[in-house]
Amino acid sequence: MSKRISSYSIERKKARWGWIFVTPTLIFFSLFSFYPIFNALYTSLFKKKLLSLKPPDFIGLDNYIYLLKSPDFWNSIRATVVFTLGTFIPLLIFSLIFAIFVMSRKRFQNFFQIAYYSPAVLSSVVAAVIWLLIFDPRGLGNQWLNLIMNSPGIDHKWLANSVMVQMSTMLVYFWKYVGYFTIIFIVGLASIPQSIYEAAKIDGANDWKNFWYITLPLLKPTTILVSIISMLQCLRTFSTQYLFTQGGAPLGPINVITLNIYHTAIRDHRIGRASAMSVILFVIMLLFTWVQFKSSRADEISY
Amino acid sequence: MKKLFTIFLFVLLLSMTVNAAANMEITFWTHEDPNRTEIENRYIAEFEQANPGVTIKRVTSGSGKIQELILTAFAANQGPDIFNMSIEDEYAYIVNERLSPVDFEAAGYPSLQAIYDAYVPGVLDPVTYKGKLYGLPLELTNWCIYLNKKVFRDGGLDPEKDYPKTWEEMVEVSDKIAIREGEILNRRGFDFRYPYYLVSTVPMVEQLGGKLISDDGKTAIVNDEAWLKFLKFMQEWGPNGKILGSPTYTNARKLFNKDNNDIGMCLTGLYQQGRIRSDNPDFYNSGDWMVVPFPIFENAVKDVPAAYYGHYYMVNGQKSEENQKMAWKFIAYMLSHGEEYLTKVNIVQPTVKLMESETYKSMPYSKVFTDDMAKGHVVYYGENSAEIQSLIREAVESVMLAGVSPEDALKTLKRKVQEVLDEG
Repeated sequence: MSKRISSYSIERKKARWGWIFVTPTLIFFSLFSFYPIFNALYTSLFKKKLLSLKPPDFIGLDNYIYLLKSPDFWNSIRATVVFTLGTFIPLLIFSLIFAIFVMSRKRFQNFFQIAYYSPAVLSSVVAAVIWLLIFDPRGLGNQWLNLIMNSPGIDHKWLANSVMVQMSTMLVYFWKYVGYFTIIFIVGLASIPQSIYEAAKIDGANDWKNFWYITLPLLKPTTILVSIISMLQCLRTFSTQYLFTQGGAPLGPINVITLNIYHTAIRDHRIGRASAMSVILFVIMLLFTWVQFKSSRADEISY
Repeated sequence: MKKLFTIFLFVLLLSMTVNAAANMEITFWTHEDPNRTEIENRYIAEFEQANPGVTIKRVTSGSGKIQELILTAFAANQGPDIFNMSIEDEYAYIVNERLSPVDFEAAGYPSLQAIYDAYVPGVLDPVTYKGKLYGLPLELTNWCIYLNKKVFRDGGLDPEKDYPKTWEEMVEVSDKIAIREGEILNRRGFDFRYPYYLVSTVPMVEQLGGKLISDDGKTAIVNDEAWLKFLKFMQEWGPNGKILGSPTYTNARKLFNKDNNDIGMCLTGLYQQGRIRSDNPDFYNSGDWMVVPFPIFENAVKDVPAAYYGHYYMVNGQKSEENQKMAWKFIAYMLSHGEEYLTKVNIVQPTVKLMESETYKSMPYSKVFTDDMAKGHVVYYGENSAEIQSLIREAVESVMLAGVSPEDALKTLKRKVQEVLDEG
């Protein structure tokens, strides 16, 4: 009996220390994540103007109903989906390829890691400004492509064509984040025990078989992690699209949900409607993350 | 002992209160303009010396960024004491009652009427709301065409005779001046100021008989034919038409000062002269630039130049009464230097005295601006004017760049602007 009491008190002691360590983070998240989420949910039920000092009118789900009927909002969903698919799939594939390439190098491994990772250090705003200069009609983008394609004088309309401007935003995002995910894959690859490859070698497996039957299955947790992070990053994309439209690019093709939220709140002063849009984006992100987690749990890896 | 402690506490609180009153900080947010910064920093030093204990904190931001900074600050009830923006961005602050009405006594006027009498008739109308005055103008600006004579001559044109009087001539002249490498423009004849559609492109529609909002304020986008013609003109101007310009090229107004043979004409106000003078004194003194009126369409039904707009100094109504009074006193002090603003910054404060002064009349090309202003009207302003401007931008840039037909763009524009009007 006394043994049970003492183990119970040790458990309690452990739990107390657990709470002490977790509390600062909980306070931080409560202030900067949970409060804004609940506040946005609450605000989305009101017709509220950003500058108005009058009490806002309660309108229930009207903001959501308006959005679901709005062609602009559906265009934003389209732009976000196109951007996310067009960016996160290449990001996933190429960061894995680059990671394998870096790991297979005997020399200059560090150099390649720094080279791939360096764009991720830049802020998104700086990256977009650099690319705005490249995409200027008289900029390096046209000059390089015309040199490679031997097509002098062609304006590839990086920002001045509805398809090209979408490609341009994807290109900037890909360039900025591919190194970051490459590093995550490198860590994942390094954690696979060498003994498995050695055993496979004894059994006569070649590099291709190693990749398909050892590397890829054992890399599944990293792949899931990268796919979730990259997809969430893509869904939250803002600064590239914002700066490109400031630089003269047409809004419609790249009016992703976050940009629409910004315009609705800051330009149009409709904070209630913008909050409703952010709640919808939150639900979409939550749903995708849940689906990915669900699928990743199907067969967990252990060495 | 207890009594002594109470007295000590009282003295401490009193000294803190006196200290707080004696040390008043006035925050002043404005857009970047190096020429203004130079003289306003001096006014601040002089004002602080004349009003001990008062500190003016002047903060500048880019002219495209300040709207957002002020808005978010006000939304969090943390707006500055003094700010200025263009009236189409400021009007929402008046309607939402976020501002302090002008304190005529603090501003040094005997009555409110005296302020109205001091300014050119009508210029205070945009800041008069429910019988109260909410702003004093830092500048009243209209835009005309600045022209680089060297570029004209290089294009085989005589700037004095061949400058464009109509938009059709603007296309022809720009085509002659343009230097292209295939589809890429290395030198543009002219290009628009793309984000500012209410100021410069709505008047083009009005020349053709169209209107942004009907006279009764209930219908948006009046006269489809005029709007369609305007949208088609812009489509032809862009990279999918005659390749004369595009929002994706560097802002023409910025390039103009450099005199680098990459732009022939740009659209801007009298203030540009001050900027040319400080950016490129050789070009300013060369006499190789001139200013001509805003063009009109050949078959225009109305002669409408670019709309004029005001930047008004405003005071945050959420600040203490003392701060509001001091803010108006400081604004009046700055605005008492109208001639210096004109000669050093080239911005016009529309007081009767200044507009009739020899200093204004002797400014290069001031007559061109005055004549255009006399024919024009103030820019469209309303609670949602900034939103409407963005919708026009979306429409124009969709036909110029995104391959949307003018008919579809017009349909979308009409629907969206009408929705803004209906929602209020």
